[in-house]
Amino acid sequence: MIMANHFHINTPLLESVNMSKRVGTTVYLKMENSQPSGSFKIRGIGHLCQQSKGIVCSSGGNAGMAAALVARKMGLPATIVIPSSSPELVVQRLQDQGATVKISGKVWDDANAEALRLAETEGLTYVPPFDHPLLWQGHASMIAEAAASLGPDVKPGAVVISVGGGGLLCGVVQGLQDVGWTDVPIIAMETDGANCFNTAVKAGRLVTLDDITSEAKCLGAKTVCQKAFEQSQRKDLNIISELVSDQQALHAVQTFLDEERVLVEMACGAALAAVYSGIIRKLQDESRLPALLRPLLVIVCGGSSINMEQLANLKHKLNSMLTFNEHSFIKPIYT
Amino acid sequence: MQNQQPLHVASPLRQSLPLTKEAGTAVYLKLDSSQPTGSFKIRGIGHLCQTVGAPGSPVCVRRRAQGIEPEPEPCLSRPSTGGNAGMAAAYSARQLGVPATIVVPSVTPDLTVERLRDQGATVVVHGKALNDSIVHGQQLVENNPGWVFISPFDDPLIWEGHSSLVKELQQELREKPGAIVLSGLRRAAWGDVPVVAMETRGAHSLNAAVKAGELVTLPEITSVATTLGLARVSERTFALVQEHPVFSEVVTDQDAVAAVERFIDDEKILVEPACGAALAAVYSGVLRRLQEEGKLAEPLGGPVVVVVCGGNNISVQQLQKLKQQLGLPGGGHQAGPA
Ligand SMILES: Cc1ncc(COP(=O)(O)O)c(C=O)c1O
Repeated sequence: MIMANHFHINTPLLESVNMSKRVGTTVYLKMENSQPSGSFKIRGIGHLCQQSKGIVCSSGGNAGMAAALVARKMGLPATIVIPSSSPELVVQRLQDQGATVKISGKVWDDANAEALRLAETEGLTYVPPFDHPLLWQGHASMIAEAAASLGPDVKPGAVVISVGGGGLLCGVVQGLQDVGWTDVPIIAMETDGANCFNTAVKAGRLVTLDDITSEAKCLGAKTVCQKAFEQSQRKDLNIISELVSDQQALHAVQTFLDEERVLVEMACGAALAAVYSGIIRKLQDESRLPALLRPLLVIVCGGSSINMEQLANLKHKLNSMLTFNEHSFIKPIYT
Repeated sequence: MQNQQPLHVASPLRQSLPLTKEAGTAVYLKLDSSQPTGSFKIRGIGHLCQTVGAPGSPVCVRRRAQGIEPEPEPCLSRPSTGGNAGMAAAYSARQLGVPATIVVPSVTPDLTVERLRDQGATVVVHGKALNDSIVHGQQLVENNPGWVFISPFDDPLIWEGHSSLVKELQQELREKPGAIVLSGLRRAAWGDVPVVAMETRGAHSLNAAVKAGELVTLPEITSVATTLGLARVSERTFALVQEHPVFSEVVTDQDAVAAVERFIDDEKILVEPACGAALAAVYSGVLRRLQEEGKLAEPLGGPVVVVVCGGNNISVQQLQKLKQQLGLPGGGHQAGPA
């Protein structure tokens, strides 16, 4: 793929011995956390912003970080609209990137409405965080890179990602097409309470959630994008939608920090929980994945909206739910 | 993965805004924490194993060479928590498809031994201190034709491997850096770019040598930065100080561990105290002081590059323990970037 001027880097593809041991097949981690903006979002957004004069982006945080970084590099003003559900530390980080931050509404959908309004009234380029073909094209580069790192002899048995509004999903689908891997299953992870994709897949149509109740705020779009839903309906693709609880996502974040020494967001923890909470094994038991699985490619999507204090808060909040509501998460919530 | 490809990856280089803010000058991070074995060690050891383990190479007569890697446990009194070199050797051997035997002293933690075994290595626990392990390793090599001894220290091939880091920087950075910050000292020569070589007090063998003007052996390693803990630097390292502008700086264990903690919040990466020593150049104001003292230019001619060397031997719990041990505030944590 040709990108005029890109802002993302070729991230390391690392084999995780610890995770491989758990799954029983080699696990490769695509370390998107090491992108300059801290998440994969820079790929698509860098690609999209090439012809802008000033941008406005609605975001739970990470798309905003990517947009702000790209704008700074291009010498453009950036306004990032975030919902009040995004943690305080996101505001500081965005401002450090030189962006103007506006807080609007409770969840991303509210912030997005404000961003669209600003685009209209101020004549700014609207940067959607997940719903645009140029974003998908930008994100697709991660699969091309992974294929190059793995070499011609290795093809993954499955790709694990998390789904918010579905931009990453669409990008990965395109990336798999680009390298001729359309038969590789995609395991699309969400948390319970930020499950717009899973709900749509089950209903067979787009569904708008009433509210976002998960702590994985960056997965919290109320409606998945049309294209992501269409991909889920394609017969030539194998997209498996799975849910984990917030507790499972948090547990994954903690385990990953201890074992791989990288702190990621809950949004990313959802994908990691596919390994740590036995989703892969379950899919193998159900014969939805082969028992002898080729290597697993896990997209470590990253995320900036987390620090040790935030992690402690999440632990406190989710563990106190444990005592009241023990049974809702002890068993993984399977679809 | 092919044998011809290097075993390390070209690690990410990115600007850190929190560290830039702290230092008052542009700070870039070279993230060797995201190397396959979690530290920069794979650069040197990978290169060494690949060269001596390759078929037809002069050292190894047989295809199935065996790498022997004594744990670098140079400290005299403190149990080793080392293992980064051993991990790198075990990983290299597995990638190259040759068996590896790693000899470690009995003080090596179980977790490290388990991680080495997970990499497919045979682990032999022998002796109390490193010296015993080395002697045992050398005996194994003598008794087993075709085995190769992999020194964790000072092989020229290891140095050659580490120089890949500077080559990457030269490709990625558009401008020459104003300074390169490392923990310990390795080959990082880039023209006249000053190197700031960070150590912790109690593992400050380079600093002691620089001050004395000759090689010095520390009586004891007392720092928690055990992977820095060489009681004596090598001739080659010391020679580098004579050839290249190097500022040898020492911080406390407290500085190093506090830096580790702040780095998690700022960059979401958990590193060892040995690596924290390098980060403390920014967090503890060493760079600013060097500028005030006129040793580093102000403003610097280019960005500062901090080599984030990483390290395996750390977990959140371990960090908590270190904080307690060093009397740092809070069993808790620091707030996010101010
Ligand atoms: C860290 C992280 N992971 C995953 C996602 C989900 O991406 P998408 O909205 O494209 O599905 C996001 C979106 O914000 C994110 O920030």
